[in-house]
Amino acid sequence: MADMEGKRAVQGKFADLNYYEMLDIRPDAVPFEIRHAYQNAIQMYEPGSLVSYSFFSEHERKEILAHIEKAYLTLVNGKERQGYDAELVRRGVLKGDVCREKADKKPVSIFSISRSSVLQPVCQKKAELKARIAQCPRIGAIAQKTDICGADLQEIREALGVTLEQIADETKIRLDYLRAIEASEASRLPAPVFLKGFVKAYLKHLCVDPGEEISTRYMAALSVQSEGKAS
Amino acid sequence: MELMAYVWPIGGGKGGSGKSFLTSSLGRLSAGLGKKTLLIDLDLGAANLHTLVDLPYPTKCFSDFIRKKIPRLEDTVVETPVENLYLISGAHDNLDIANLPYEQKIKTLKAIARLDYDHILLDLGAGTSFNTLDFFLISHNGIFVTTPEPTSIENVYRLIRSIYFRRIRHCFNVTDFKALEEAADELYGRGAVNRPECMMEVVRLKYPETHAQIQDDFNGFRFKLVLNQLRRHDNAGLGQQICRIIEKHLGLRIEFAGNVAYDDHVHDAICARVSFLERYPYTRTAGDLRELSKSVVQTAGEQMLINYS
Repeated sequence: MADMEGKRAVQGKFADLNYYEMLDIRPDAVPFEIRHAYQNAIQMYEPGSLVSYSFFSEHERKEILAHIEKAYLTLVNGKERQGYDAELVRRGVLKGDVCREKADKKPVSIFSISRSSVLQPVCQKKAELKARIAQCPRIGAIAQKTDICGADLQEIREALGVTLEQIADETKIRLDYLRAIEASEASRLPAPVFLKGFVKAYLKHLCVDPGEEISTRYMAALSVQSEGKAS
Repeated sequence: MELMAYVWPIGGGKGGSGKSFLTSSLGRLSAGLGKKTLLIDLDLGAANLHTLVDLPYPTKCFSDFIRKKIPRLEDTVVETPVENLYLISGAHDNLDIANLPYEQKIKTLKAIARLDYDHILLDLGAGTSFNTLDFFLISHNGIFVTTPEPTSIENVYRLIRSIYFRRIRHCFNVTDFKALEEAADELYGRGAVNRPECMMEVVRLKYPETHAQIQDDFNGFRFKLVLNQLRRHDNAGLGQQICRIIEKHLGLRIEFAGNVAYDDHVHDAICARVSFLERYPYTRTAGDLRELSKSVVQTAGEQMLINYS
């Protein structure tokens, strides 16, 4: 029994540290600092690290890395961290009043990507567009035409009340290409391989079916037109 | 005990890591400040310092003291071409000097403690022989030198552990220490003898007073670490991290003293047997050395010689 205790006293020296000490951070560290400290620790203890080369046996290293992993996963998780802090306070390691401010400072994100708020309106818009297409016989008539030119596409778009800017924003197709598509100006348009994709994306944004077929017809009409010009 | 000179033993475990070059450079910088500086070549059996301070044929050497040709260590000192810089050379040491007997070593340690110089730098040999360890432990201000390579780092860790171990060993006689080793084996499994932190724990359990004394000693040490031959693409934070690991896992505080950049010109200067600092004063390496000397030889503090005076 005594020898078990002794064993823990030294071999567990690292294990006896609290998670903050393991990662070398203050108890009021913000998540950004925790992540940074974790990366540093991994760099120091990972098997190929120069810093700790030959310092630990394979087994010791594995144990230490497991501890660091556990420390990190506990501390980055707000809820688990609260629980852990409470335990440290109970054990008298931390003082109760050292508790962090409620609102942790978060790193400022560079891009404000909030997908959930964007996705919702898009779905609604699509349903709306489809309803409008069903109501408007003119769009159906255009979609049935054998040769479709840029002006037809423009007519559909205007009937649906969508601006070119909106399409450009959503599809990331350059505005001048979109204008050229509607004007059927082959000279200002990109190579057919790209162009077909652009037209398809344009139609998809307007929810006009069948996008594939209409774009094929548009391409055919465009090539006929440009050949006619050439001859 | 009267206040002694500042003694800086310079060791590093691995050969070729730049101990002698660093010793001679720090010595030159210290002498340049007007301090009476003595270099002692204790790399017994592989002495080089005389070459690095451009004194190829020293008239006297350390062996004369050991062989009792010269009774006092201070009389084996030779002047170097550099003002204020003195040397105890190992150039013509006897061929069996590497295996210094225990009594001779103690005699030497005591003699070093009595030398009257402002600064004394000891250039120690590679490896972890008792001579190296004991000379390193003569002062609180030991400097470890390593390069950013696994071979060198491996050896410096081993040296640090050996010194730790040696310090513990000093406090016990043979039979008591044997008992301690057995206790450690029993407590922590085989191989625990080679882990000073385990040995310390056993000492704590069996001899709490001695433990406190050793702990006190270690708290008094101001060991430093120098990372030498750092190439551009090497991790500049390596030295700090090494010190952190040692403190965290061995409980030994070692201060990181600085990086010294790698420079091919060091080789050129050694080949030409001129001072690198004078020939190439505007290189990054020379700047690093000057910075280093600020944090090493120019720091004043309480210097104590332990055990041997």
